[in-house]
Amino acid sequence: MLSWKAMNNLREVVAEQWEYRELLVRMTARDLLLRYKQTVMGFGWAIFMPLVNTAIFSVIFTRVAAIDVGMPYPVYAFCGLVAWNFFSSALRFSVTSLTSNPSLVTKVYFPREIFPFSAVLVSLVDFAVSSLVLVALMWWYHVAPGWPLLMLPLVVLSLVIFTAATALLLAMGNLFYRDVKYLFEIVIAFWMFATSVVYPIGRIGGRLGLLLTLNPMTHIIDAFRAVILEGRAPNPAFAITTAASIVAFVGAWLLFHAAEFEFAENL
Amino acid sequence: MSAVVFEGIWKKFRRGERHDSLRDLVPALARGLARRRRPLDLAEQEFWAVRDVSFEVGPGEALGIIGPNGAGKSTILKLLTKILRPTRGRIEMRGRVGALIEVAAGFHPDLTGRENVYLQGAIMGMTRAEIARKFDAIVDFSGVEAFIDTPVKRYSSGMNARLGFAIAASLDPDILLIDEVLSVGDVGFQEKCVARMRELLARGVPLVFVSHNLAAVVDLCTRAILVEQGTVRFDGRPAETVAEFRRGRRGAEARVRPAADQVHITDVQLLRADGEASPLFHTGQAMRIQVHYRAPQPVRAPHVAIDIHGVDGLYCAGINTRMDDCALGTLEGEGRVELVIPRLNLLPGSYTISAGILDAQGLRPLDLQSHAYPFSVASERKDFGVVYLEHHWRHDARSAAASAEADAGAPVASRPRRRPVEVVGAGGARK
Repeated sequence: MLSWKAMNNLREVVAEQWEYRELLVRMTARDLLLRYKQTVMGFGWAIFMPLVNTAIFSVIFTRVAAIDVGMPYPVYAFCGLVAWNFFSSALRFSVTSLTSNPSLVTKVYFPREIFPFSAVLVSLVDFAVSSLVLVALMWWYHVAPGWPLLMLPLVVLSLVIFTAATALLLAMGNLFYRDVKYLFEIVIAFWMFATSVVYPIGRIGGRLGLLLTLNPMTHIIDAFRAVILEGRAPNPAFAITTAASIVAFVGAWLLFHAAEFEFAENL
Repeated sequence: MSAVVFEGIWKKFRRGERHDSLRDLVPALARGLARRRRPLDLAEQEFWAVRDVSFEVGPGEALGIIGPNGAGKSTILKLLTKILRPTRGRIEMRGRVGALIEVAAGFHPDLTGRENVYLQGAIMGMTRAEIARKFDAIVDFSGVEAFIDTPVKRYSSGMNARLGFAIAASLDPDILLIDEVLSVGDVGFQEKCVARMRELLARGVPLVFVSHNLAAVVDLCTRAILVEQGTVRFDGRPAETVAEFRRGRRGAEARVRPAADQVHITDVQLLRADGEASPLFHTGQAMRIQVHYRAPQPVRAPHVAIDIHGVDGLYCAGINTRMDDCALGTLEGEGRVELVIPRLNLLPGSYTISAGILDAQGLRPLDLQSHAYPFSVASERKDFGVVYLEHHWRHDARSAAASAEADAGAPVASRPRRRPVEVVGAGGARK
């Protein structure tokens, strides 16, 4: 009974989103265009940030506390940072996506998901741009991908779905409680170091290690690295993560849809 | 089949601040768990912005919604546009809704006019191809061609609104919602807007028009409702509804202004040539303004003054009995003073009338009703401005023969023959 209603709602929101697909593209284009106009470096920032981080962590993990990651460390770090930067910047845009557009939210009707979704799409473009640098790095360090690279679209899709699910919840949360924005900054900083972005988190053992395996981002980034750099298929944990992400995404979207009509009154 | 169905709608709002930080969430949740309220119960700090409002609008119908500030008009419009969801009731909108509300809400200051047209168009539900097709017409309508590639942050607020309106006007909606757009832009632009609305209406597009501009409501709508304190007080023909609204408002004001035992204006009626009370007049036709008064105590030699203003505040005319040396004698009991304007030389537009009774020196108002009586003027005349000047044209041209003569060194004294052409103005008399 409940699931029947949920299915109906889901069909409704997907149909509406499809109807407004041009607006989603427009809003994404707007944000990209604005960044291009307002900053001197434009898309350069998409490359610059992970490069700076890669340089910093390369110094730490090859000179200060050297670790063996089974490949040239800069490629390892950059690969993780590209995926992580997509996740964190998409969320950073999403958190304030509703609250920074009050005139649209309170005065014009269209599906509100467009705000967090376009934030995710904008970051996806950055992700694509910085992936080009990853290709260059791999060529420089002679890291060649194998046939598992064919699974890359699936891994990226999983990453996007998990990011979008989180983005929906954060955008909605921040609209009702502005604390979410500040809380997010703290959580995202901790979260990065609880994920295998710049070091293999799997080496942490014991109870903490067990707890950390619950972090979906670890499995997604591990899978990302596996198909690109290690030439192997993702771990089974990735499949479970993907399935859970899809469930979370559907749930988050339905929740967002249910709360949508309260947005104008609460902004 | 009505395109707009608004059935038994209730909408609850909360007064004052709501909890915006997590600190307030916990107590709020605790309260929520403690008792589950039924939807029609009001908690502390809650009130009904809209109470049991119903209406339907069918093809070719134009519904006006009028009422004092804070009556719930804008809330009704937000419910119609789906921005708000009713606490209770059913809303149905069949087809694409075009809303002339916040027409520039999607504009981003750093984007150019052109980029914003595409963005705002998408927000209003148009496809890229559709906007591209209508782009030239939109720019043409807005009158900002020269600045279309300038960021809109450099636009004046009028240009901003005009561009936004032009985009909205280019929509081919199945239902049109309008909120006070007639206050946008100059008179010329407003006329274009009204023309567009009439065009859609003539095509059978149902229209919901929320406005403080009573004359425009009478002018455009086929039906009007008066909303007060969230409920429908009156539902009828626009002129009736406007009259009802004015009656209520005067009642409210009479308590604060002249005391009941002082002379006061009880009503002002605007009559057409045929004697019908109507807020609609024609350029060049007669208008009679009757000021009804009640004087419980005798008032010696007072004066009556009538002012006419345009909706944009332009002072069009001021007439009073003192300047016209018209002595009214002593007013006592009830009566009326009538101002007869044989030919109303105002051009099409919306105007308001203020009426006052002044003391014998014509200085101190004993009763004054500012901008209380709206009316509008229609005409076939295409003149610009607010006033029709009776006129005719003459054209003097030298004949070819005369000028040849002059060139050949004709005597200076010989004057070129005149070839008068007279084009006499249609005179504005229209029946």
